[in-house]
Amino acid sequence: MKQQPYVPKDIAGKLAKAFIRNPLTLVLGVFLFALGYLSLEVMPREENPQMVVSGSTVIVALPGATAEEVERIIVKPLERKLKEVKGVEHIYGRAMDNVGIVNAAFFIGQNKEDSNLKIYDKIMQNSNMFPKGAMNPVIKPLDIDVDIPIVSVAFYSNDKNMSETDLYDHVKTMQHYINGLPNVAVTDLKGGHKHQFNIEVDINKLSGYNLSLGQISQAVQSLAYNVPNIKNRTQDNKIVILGVKNAVQTIDDVGNIMIAEYMGSPIYLKQVATVTDGYNYQNFQSAQISIETQEHSFTPMQNQVTLTVSKLQGTNAVVISDSVKEELSKYKDMLSKSGINYVITRNDGERANDAVNELVMHLVISIIIIAVLLIFVLGWRESLIVTFTVPAILAITLFVAYITGQTINRITLFAFLLSLGLLVDAAIIVIENIHRHYHSVDSAHKDKDELMIEATDEIGAPTNIATLAIIMTMVPMAFVGQMMGQFMKPIPANVPVALIASLFVAYIFTPYLAVRILKRPKHDEEHK
Amino acid sequence: MFKKFEKAVLNGVQSKSQRKFILIGTVVALILSVMMIPTELVLAKMLPGKNNDTYNIYIKLPDGSSIEQTTSVSNCVASVMQKEKDVKNLEVFLGMGSPLDFAGLIKGSHFKNSENVAELVVNLTKKDERKEPSYMMVQRLRPVVLKACQPIVPQSDISFVEPPAGPPTLAAIVAEIYGDNPDGIRVLSTKIENIFKKTQGLVDVDTMEDTIYSTFDIKVDAEKAARSGIAIKQINDIMYLAFEGMDIAVKNSAKYNDQIPIFLSLSNDTKKFTKKDLDAIQSKLSSLKLMNKYGMMVPITELISVIPTQSHPAIMSKDLHQMTNVMAETDMVSQVYPLIDARATILKELANDYEITKTGLFDLELKNKKDSEIYQLKWDGEMKVTLDTFRDLGGAFIAALILIFLLMVIYYKSYTLSGIILAGSFLSIIGVIVGHWIMNLFTADTFFLTATSLIGFIALIGISSRNSLLLIDFTKSLMYDKAMPKAEAIAYATATRAKPIFLTAVAIILASTLLAGDAVFGGLGVSLIFGTIAAVIASLMVVPILLYNADLERHFQFHEKKAVSITDPL
Repeated sequence: MKQQPYVPKDIAGKLAKAFIRNPLTLVLGVFLFALGYLSLEVMPREENPQMVVSGSTVIVALPGATAEEVERIIVKPLERKLKEVKGVEHIYGRAMDNVGIVNAAFFIGQNKEDSNLKIYDKIMQNSNMFPKGAMNPVIKPLDIDVDIPIVSVAFYSNDKNMSETDLYDHVKTMQHYINGLPNVAVTDLKGGHKHQFNIEVDINKLSGYNLSLGQISQAVQSLAYNVPNIKNRTQDNKIVILGVKNAVQTIDDVGNIMIAEYMGSPIYLKQVATVTDGYNYQNFQSAQISIETQEHSFTPMQNQVTLTVSKLQGTNAVVISDSVKEELSKYKDMLSKSGINYVITRNDGERANDAVNELVMHLVISIIIIAVLLIFVLGWRESLIVTFTVPAILAITLFVAYITGQTINRITLFAFLLSLGLLVDAAIIVIENIHRHYHSVDSAHKDKDELMIEATDEIGAPTNIATLAIIMTMVPMAFVGQMMGQFMKPIPANVPVALIASLFVAYIFTPYLAVRILKRPKHDEEHK
Repeated sequence: MFKKFEKAVLNGVQSKSQRKFILIGTVVALILSVMMIPTELVLAKMLPGKNNDTYNIYIKLPDGSSIEQTTSVSNCVASVMQKEKDVKNLEVFLGMGSPLDFAGLIKGSHFKNSENVAELVVNLTKKDERKEPSYMMVQRLRPVVLKACQPIVPQSDISFVEPPAGPPTLAAIVAEIYGDNPDGIRVLSTKIENIFKKTQGLVDVDTMEDTIYSTFDIKVDAEKAARSGIAIKQINDIMYLAFEGMDIAVKNSAKYNDQIPIFLSLSNDTKKFTKKDLDAIQSKLSSLKLMNKYGMMVPITELISVIPTQSHPAIMSKDLHQMTNVMAETDMVSQVYPLIDARATILKELANDYEITKTGLFDLELKNKKDSEIYQLKWDGEMKVTLDTFRDLGGAFIAALILIFLLMVIYYKSYTLSGIILAGSFLSIIGVIVGHWIMNLFTADTFFLTATSLIGFIALIGISSRNSLLLIDFTKSLMYDKAMPKAEAIAYATATRAKPIFLTAVAIILASTLLAGDAVFGGLGVSLIFGTIAAVIASLMVVPILLYNADLERHFQFHEKKAVSITDPL
C-alpha cells in the first residue's frame, strides 16, 4: 500500500532525501577522496606544528666600558625604550664588558613581521640615545624558520694530508650548490678554517733587531695593497689599461718583504718571523666528528665542517631535505675523489615524514580495527558503510586544513586520531537506527527510501545536539594561551571540522550506501 | 541479553535501596579518585619525555677557561659516548653552539662564542632499532659522564639537553632571584643552587651567572706616554697585535672562495706567558717596543703599570629588574614535586638569615635579616608553563561545561535535565584518574597525568554528554509517543541505547589504544579509554537513576498529559 511520503523535520532527513537518489552523490564521494588524497600529498609536512614566536635581540657594543657602565648607559635606557613597544611580554637585558644585549620577547602568536618592524622602528627613532663611542646597534630578529636548520651535513676528510682550509673550501663550494636549490633559505658553515697567510713573529728576534711590531705591520700593508686599474687613451683614442699588481702574490713574497735596514743591510720578514701559508689558527672554534663503524667501534675524533640548511616559511621540509640529499649524491663522486666524505647528521624532513607516515599507519590500523568490530556487531555490509565514511570525513578535514594554511604534523594527526573515535559515532548511530528500522516488523510495509530517510531523520536532532556539544568542548581550547596553546592549536582547529564533516557524511552517504548495499530481511523469519 | 539488562535497570530504578547504593557508591568513587592527585598516587607533569633519535650535551667550563681545557673535557665525554652501541655518530662543536634546534633557541645556544663552551650532538640509531628510549639512556649516562669528566676542570657544568616533547623552555625548573644588590643576589643564588643540588630528582643544576676570575688591568702613565710621543691607541694596537693577532692586509685569490688575509701575531711559543702572575706578564711585555713619532724605540713597560684585578661579571635583568637564574633539569620525574620539596627546604634552611614571606602560589620574598635588603624568588621555566597550561586548560574545561549546560538548557528548556547530563559527563573524571593510576602500575617509568590527559578529559565531557543525551531523547519519545510509564520508558531506552553507546565507546577505545602507546599523547589515549569506560557506566547506571529521580513529565513539558504515569510517586 502506498502511504504519504515522509516529511523530514531535521536537516538530517532533508540531506538524506536530497542525496539518496541523486546521481551526483557518487561524483561527490569520488571528488572528496581526490581532494583528501591531494591535500595529503601537497601539504607541507613537519614534525611539530609551527609556532609563531617573535622577538628581537639588540646588541650594542661600547668598547672599553665595564659591565656596570654598560648596564647604566646602554642596557637600562634601551630596556625602557623597548618597554614602550606594544606586544612585548618580557625584556631580558645582559650587560657585559664592552657590550650590552637586550632581548625583547613578544607574546606568543604576535605577528612576526610586525613585531620585528616595531623593534626596528623604536631603535631607529631613538638612535640618538646611545652614548658616544657606542657602535651602531645590531638588531637581530628571531626567525624560527630561518634560524633552525632542517638539514645538517658533516663533511670530513679521509685524507690525513688534506689541509684544514682545503676541506673548508670544498664545503664552501658545496654550500653554493645547495643554496641554489628551491625554497632553501639560509645555508651556513660551522667549523673548518679559512685560508690565511700567517706571520708569526719571534719576540726574541724582534728585540734582537730592535724592531717594533708596528714596523712590520706597516711594511706589509704598504706592499700588500689592491688598487683599481688605471685607464688612459692613445692619441687615436684607443683605451689602454694599466694595472698595478698587489706586490704579494705568493707566500714567498710575504717572507721577502723588507721591514727595516739594520747597519746598512736589509732585514727581511722571514728573518724575524715564520711565514706560512696556513689557516686562521686564531679562531678557537672548531667542529669534530666521530662515526660508528660496523663493529661498534668509533673512528677517532676528526675535524669536520658542518653545512646547515634551513627552509623558507611554509615550505615542505620533506621535499627540501630530499632535494638536498639528491644534490649531495650528485657530487658524491667528485667529493670522494678529493678524499672528502659526508654524513647527514640532521634530517628533519625525513624525521617529519617518518612521524607522519607512522601516524597515518596508526590511523589506518585504527580504522581497520573499528571495521572488524562493526562486522561482528552490525554485519559486514553495515561495517563497510561506516568504514567508508571515515576516509571521506578525514579527506574533508584534510582539505579544510590545507586551505586554511595548516601543515601536517604530529599534532594534526593526533587530532585526527582523537576525532576518529568521535567521528564514526554519527555514522554508527545512523546505520544502527537504519538497521533497527530495517529489521523491525512494524516497518516491513514501508518503502525502502522512505525508511532510510525516516530512520536518519529520527536521530537527527539528538545527534546534531550531541555533536554540537563535543564541538563546544573543543572551542575553549582554542583560547589556551602561551606556547602550549600554540602547540595544541591543531586540535581545536581540526576536531570540530571533522565532527561537522562527520554529520554531513553520515546524513548524505550513509542512507545512500545503505539503500544500495543493505539487504532487507524477509520478515517471516526472525532476524538473527 | 538486552531484555535482561532492561529488567535489571527497571528493578534498579524502582528499588529505593539500590538507587541509594549506586548514588552513594558513585560519590565515594568520585571522591576517592580525585584524592589520588593530592596524595601523589597519580603524578602530574606537563608533558612526559619523548624518545628521540638525538640529544645534545652542553659543556660549560668556568669563565676564563681556555679552549684546550674545554677540549679535554669534551674528549672525555666523547670517549664515554663512544662506548655506547646505540650511538650512530658524535659531533663536537668547540667554542660555539651546535646547529640550532628548538631547545637551543630558548637556551641561547646560538649566542655561544667563547673558549669555555662546547656542545656535543649525539645521534642515535632510529628508535625502532634500539631497545632503550633516549630518556632512559640519558638518565643512565648522566652520572657516568659526570663522574668521569667533571673533575677534569673543577666547577664545569655538563648537562644533557633532549629535544622537548612540547614547547621548549629554558629549563625544567628556573628560580629567578630579583634584587637590587648584585652581591646579595650572588650569595642567595649560590645558597639556592646548593639546595637544588641536594634536592632529589633535580640534576644539571646551574646558575646563570659569570664566575669571577682574576684579570689584569694595564694602566698607562699619561705623562710618560705624552712625553715619549705615544698614543694609548698605539699601545693597545701593539698589545693586540702581539697576543691576539690581527689581519693586517688581504690578498685576493682566484682559487679560493674567500680573500686571503695576512695575519700578524707573535709566534705561539714565544708569546705565551710563563705563568698567570704579574712578574711573568711584565717580563714578557718588556720585550715589546713601540716606535714613537721621532723614530725612536720605546719599551712598552716604561709607559705602563700592570695591576691585578678581577673580572666584571655580566649583569642580567628581566623586565627591567636585576635578576639571576638558578636552573635545574629533572631526572625523569615531574618538575612539580622537586619544586615543592626545594621550596620547603628553602623555607626551612634560609629562615636563619632571611625573613621569608610567601607571595603568589609558590613565589617567595626574602628579606635579609642583617641589611634588610629584599629579594624576590619567582619560579619560571617549564614549571610556570605547566601551571599556566593547567590553569588555561582548567579554564577551558569550565568554559566547556558551561557551554554544554547552556546548549542543553536551550535544547531541553530544563535546568534539571541539563544538570543530569552534566553530572553524568563529569563522572568520567573517575575513569581518567583511575586509568592513569592503573597505567602507572603497569609501566616501568612513571605514567604522568599530563596536559594531553586534560585535553582528553575535556573531549570526554562532550562524548559522555552525547550518551546521556541519546538516552534522554529516546526516553522522551517513548513516554511521549508510546505513552510508556516513566520507569519502563527509562529501562527500555537504556537497554535499547546501550548497543550504540557500547559501539561508539568501543570505537573510541579502539581508536585510542594506539594513542596510548605514544609518549606525549599517551595521557590523551588513557584518558579517552578509561574515561569512556567510566562514561558508559555512568550513562547506563547513574543517569537512569538521576532521571528517575527527576520529575520527567514536567521537564519534558508534557502539557497535554499524553502520558499518564502509573508508577509510584517519588
